[in-house]
Amino acid sequence: MFRIERDRARFREIVRGRLRRDLRSFLSSSELLGRRGEETVSIPVTQIETPRFKYGDNSEGGVGQGPGEAGEPLEADESQGDAAGGAGEQEGHHILEVDVDLAELADMLGEELELPNIEPRGDRMLTSNGGSYSGIRRVGPKSLRHFRRTYRQALKRTIASGEWDPRRPSVIPTAEDERIRCVKEQPKPESSAVVFHIMDVSGSMGREQKEIVRIKAFWIDTWLRKQYDNLEVVYVVHDAVAKIVDQETFFHLRESGGTKISSAYDTCLSEILERYRPEEWNIYPFHYSDGDNWSARDTERCIAVLRDEILPRVNQFCYGQVKSAYGSGQFKKDLDSALPDEEGLVTWAVEDRDGIPDAIRAFLGKGR
Amino acid sequence: MMRQSSPIDPSLRPWAERIEALARSAGLDFFDVVFEMVDPSQVNALAAYGGFPVRYPSWRFGMEYERMEKGRQWGLSKIYELVINTDPTYAYLVRSNSMMEQKLVMAHVFGHADFFKHNAWFKPTDRGMLDRMAHHGSRIRRFVDAYGQETVDRFLDQAISLDNLIDPFLPARELARSADGLRPQGEAPRERSFSSLELHRGAGFKLPSYDVLGHLAENAPLEPWQRELLRIVRAEAYYFVPQRMTKIMNEGWASFWHSRMLTHGLLETDEIVDFADCHSGATAAVPGQLNPYKLGIELFRYAEEKGMDLFKLRQVHNDTSFIDALVDEEFAERCSLFVYDRNPKSGALEVAERGWVEVKRRLLQGLSWGGTPRIELLDDDYEGRGELLLKHQFEGRELDLSEAGEVLKNLARLWRRPVHLLTTEREESRLVTSDGAEVSAAPAGEIESSEAA
Repeated sequence: MFRIERDRARFREIVRGRLRRDLRSFLSSSELLGRRGEETVSIPVTQIETPRFKYGDNSEGGVGQGPGEAGEPLEADESQGDAAGGAGEQEGHHILEVDVDLAELADMLGEELELPNIEPRGDRMLTSNGGSYSGIRRVGPKSLRHFRRTYRQALKRTIASGEWDPRRPSVIPTAEDERIRCVKEQPKPESSAVVFHIMDVSGSMGREQKEIVRIKAFWIDTWLRKQYDNLEVVYVVHDAVAKIVDQETFFHLRESGGTKISSAYDTCLSEILERYRPEEWNIYPFHYSDGDNWSARDTERCIAVLRDEILPRVNQFCYGQVKSAYGSGQFKKDLDSALPDEEGLVTWAVEDRDGIPDAIRAFLGKGR
Repeated sequence: MMRQSSPIDPSLRPWAERIEALARSAGLDFFDVVFEMVDPSQVNALAAYGGFPVRYPSWRFGMEYERMEKGRQWGLSKIYELVINTDPTYAYLVRSNSMMEQKLVMAHVFGHADFFKHNAWFKPTDRGMLDRMAHHGSRIRRFVDAYGQETVDRFLDQAISLDNLIDPFLPARELARSADGLRPQGEAPRERSFSSLELHRGAGFKLPSYDVLGHLAENAPLEPWQRELLRIVRAEAYYFVPQRMTKIMNEGWASFWHSRMLTHGLLETDEIVDFADCHSGATAAVPGQLNPYKLGIELFRYAEEKGMDLFKLRQVHNDTSFIDALVDEEFAERCSLFVYDRNPKSGALEVAERGWVEVKRRLLQGLSWGGTPRIELLDDDYEGRGELLLKHQFEGRELDLSEAGEVLKNLARLWRRPVHLLTTEREESRLVTSDGAEVSAAPAGEIESSEAA
């Protein structure tokens, strides 16, 4: 059904249009977070149905068939009937989902927030393992024999050695004539990046604060993934001590206790030194906190580590402060006054979900 | 046109012939039935086009296809067969069906084919709809070439949103009128009888009318291509009306016959259990839903038991009148029918009662007017300002007002003047107005009283 594919493509195009239009609302909602796969994100399509005169919610109810006394709730599950046997016509009212490439979503994000593309640092050439069968050598498996080159070689040899007889043109390749295709490795520029998502999980960071962090992290990942072929994400949580966790833990953990931000910066630094050397990686640490630190001494230590160790090694360090009921928001003030001229440092305060797009723009808008 | 489908499998042909002979000997009568084989995704594509692969291009069909394909891939839904109301009657069999399923489906198809040919509500439909749909398709493609996909889509979106603003009884009425005195008795009107609808064109449009779409197509200030497009949407909407009005009967009739035929010698012994499984799946009572296959087959069996003429019933009734004629205390009790409602306290759907009178009332309420609200066009020069006045004939169920507002916007854009809708919300009469951009609502006391006067 060739026509239906065209109609389907048109439908998907319309969905993309809607998504582009409604991107702002997706930017501050957690709706897409659980919908991300490896390469795609599935977008729930609402409001695309054609409006028609129809009965409203207050007209629910009707006639059913089966057992049950008055007052008994209807069983919603379909355990009683073998639904598979029913005809396909009775589709339910589930929301349709359409898969959109992450790269495409990143493009939309870039358009919406006018984000510049990132210029990777340096131009390191990496030899990638791929390459193509564009090389030629004299030995190798017969199945890769380059027929034309082999015969051309044989013809040259035949003519050169005087065996060529135009009346009986025959060319028989010998072992020396064999030309075999081989993989030619092509050095190609490759860009790798690592993102550190560092979150304060001390008692004052509430559910909503974590959700904001989560949404921001989703969009930042989406964008950076588009910019770099190879993106690694390291999740760090900290209260008084810092540890590296997996994604699941990062988003669901709730710790309580004091806050020692320097512990997280130390962890980040040691990761950079040990695993993500700046010569090979573009490095993006993001730190989210409500701005309360344990002591002014620790804040001083943070500033020192940041200024002397981390900032020289990373593309950009972003500090996103999320407003919480208990947080003082002091840390951002301290950073701003101690490091006013650091180009690689971006600090931004977010009041609530509506501030997320601006924060993303602040973090990614410099194209570093 | 049917490039990707192929003629019936040689292994099925003898069965098709045998089932056809059996169907005829049982008294079923139909146009020639042409079976075609398709893949599961092709049958979804066909279903998305309402059975007509030649239809005009629209993202809506693509969306329907996407939805059905997802359902199929996740194993939620499966289409076994598709029958088209045309002469000859095309029926699509899905290649992945088992032999037993194909037999069941073929028997089912002959039931539908008989119903299409003989049910009174299908009489006015154009049996050459395949050609007509193809013509519509090529017209709309030409519009797209001339005015651009976006422009045509935008107008089509508006038109489709109005496609249930038609009078489901109009085709039958027109047919009866044109047949009166014009034809010798007993002879059915021939092909293209649907075109009698087109007599409606021009000045002879009388208000009030339920054929709002028809009125718009003839009297709204439209470009010629828009007018033609609106007529196309209307013609297709009328073609599909009988399917909506006879869903329970049509499926019941087909299920009644497939079950009868298959249990009378068409099954191998090792197929009987599978048949029982498949049949009971199709006619299962799912809590909270009314399965048309189930209710339909029960109604025909009940009628048979009462010694009624089944063939007559299938000829003269639609779902509403059929249920009105048959459902009584005995039937409601036997089928364990009940009324359910949402409990305002718990928010859950609950069994409300089992009294057969209420059951019947609610059944009829749900089915009347093809299951959609009844909207009548009262005036096209409301208060002398050239504005439309519509009325929702309130029968106990309220409109979804936010959607209604969107529809009114579309209506106002087509009419290029404000439009008004009288409806009832929480037992109060309301006048909802749109000028195409905004929607507002006001109490409508005065209007109703002036209406009454």
